[in-house]
Amino acid sequence: MFFFVFLRSLIFKIMRIIDTQGQQCPAPIIATKRALKESAAGDSFEVLADNKTALDNISRFLKDNKTAYSVMENSGVWTITVTKGNKDVILTNAEVYCTPEIPHFSKGDFIIVFNSDKMGEGDEELGRLLISNFIKAIKDLDKLPNKIIFYNNGVKLGSIDSPVYENLKELGSMGVGMLFCATCTKYYSLEEKIKIGTLGNMFEIAQVMASAGNIIKP
Amino acid sequence: MKIDLLQMVENGGCSAKIPPRQLEEILKYLPLPEDPNILVDIDTHDDAGVYKVNDELALVLTTDFFPPVCSDPYEFGQIAAANSISDVYAMGGTPVVALNILMFPAARLPMEAYAEILKGGSDMASEAGLRIIGGHTIDDFPPKYGLAVVGYIHPEKIITNAGARPGDSLILTKPIGTGTILAGQRLNMADRKDIDEALRLMKLLNKSGAEVMKKYDIKGATDVTGFGLAGHILKMARASKVSVRINMKKVPLIGNAYKLIDEGCIPGAAFRNLEYAETDTLFAPDLDYNLKMLAYDAQTSGGLIISASHDLEKKIIAELKDAGLEDSSVIGYVTEPAGKLVHLDN
Repeated sequence: MFFFVFLRSLIFKIMRIIDTQGQQCPAPIIATKRALKESAAGDSFEVLADNKTALDNISRFLKDNKTAYSVMENSGVWTITVTKGNKDVILTNAEVYCTPEIPHFSKGDFIIVFNSDKMGEGDEELGRLLISNFIKAIKDLDKLPNKIIFYNNGVKLGSIDSPVYENLKELGSMGVGMLFCATCTKYYSLEEKIKIGTLGNMFEIAQVMASAGNIIKP
Repeated sequence: MKIDLLQMVENGGCSAKIPPRQLEEILKYLPLPEDPNILVDIDTHDDAGVYKVNDELALVLTTDFFPPVCSDPYEFGQIAAANSISDVYAMGGTPVVALNILMFPAARLPMEAYAEILKGGSDMASEAGLRIIGGHTIDDFPPKYGLAVVGYIHPEKIITNAGARPGDSLILTKPIGTGTILAGQRLNMADRKDIDEALRLMKLLNKSGAEVMKKYDIKGATDVTGFGLAGHILKMARASKVSVRINMKKVPLIGNAYKLIDEGCIPGAAFRNLEYAETDTLFAPDLDYNLKMLAYDAQTSGGLIISASHDLEKKIIAELKDAGLEDSSVIGYVTEPAGKLVHLDN
């Protein structure tokens, strides 16, 4: 229990929380938009909502504004974790205009777990190369993973100076949720360097793993 | 005691409509009555039904009612009535008789509010030359008011959703943004000036616009209400089997409606309308997000969208302005079917 409280406080310290419980639309969107304006690119904050309409409208607003987010529900309260992206994602060329639909990324009933920053046993250099190639291949899968979990050395993959940081960020913008072990990021002093996904405790990680259809560990 | 109707509702006016997608699902299960005298029914999602009496005369029938959009009961009565009558004007008809439809919480509001709502409706009806000859009230919370209106129309001069032709220009007769401004008012974010302007526009009958339409023998038009500008244009494009390009930069907006949307004051109805329309709509990649959401802002007693031959657009705009619809503007044009039904451009 103390461990849990400690972790929560750790998360709360780096996460700004916008509580919209009890507010009717459009007040929750106004609060979300205000927080987005005040954030720098890469910053994350949490929005708490207690009604489905607020959740739907906030999600829609974020999607339309190409802002990455993930949603967690806990006894009737939704926590929407929002990460501000770079706003210059507007496409202007004619071909894009003629392709009507924004591609829809479907997700499979599986998650990917990275417990290391290397793939397989053997030469370390090769292991790092392999895992980079693996991560780059994820976006071309027929179905995207439901979620990606990072723990122990795996959290290093999500650091801003990691060679696959941009690839993971891209997956995030395609709607893949990423959960980083909070204890691990603290242990490796990476709290300031993980700018994607959300931090979670072991309970959350266990929960995601327990409810996944398949778990892939490269 | 100062009566404030607005404190009683979360969604006022046409924002209180059932989501359009849900409505279409339900309507699928209703059999359409077959009768050669039915000239217009819900098949084309038109504003009103039209029933032919003889070769010279058809009846336009419509009803509309909703919860308060403003604090003052008299003003609410005026707006609800103007909104109910609007459907007759949008079809090119002349309103003749009407019935009141009122839901009123007798235990929670003083009876003077009851009288004020009906007085507002009655005064607006007089302005339209419409006679209210009866009605029905039940006890209900929150209050809701509107009219069931019958109008006259010549069977060959019906203006419908299905009458837009490629090459036509689309003219809008009132600025948009009432839904956003009302939501902003509830959150104390809207300017008093803008609220007053929204109220003035909602009370403004579409009568003068309809007279101009009749003069120019317009075939296609609709009025902008709960489904928002781009939602109603979509219904028009679908019924007319054409595509429509809307230039959102040319759409006149009420006061600081843009600023309100930019602050995140986006009413829930706008999201519902967007969800309904988006599969049939192509959004320009550089479309301003705030303008996009304004295109779906639910309007109460909004203006007319008139589909008029391109050659006539200047004359019609001039006449609409003379008739007091000073914000009338060309906001887009109609093309042969081209991919999506509606194209929203900047």
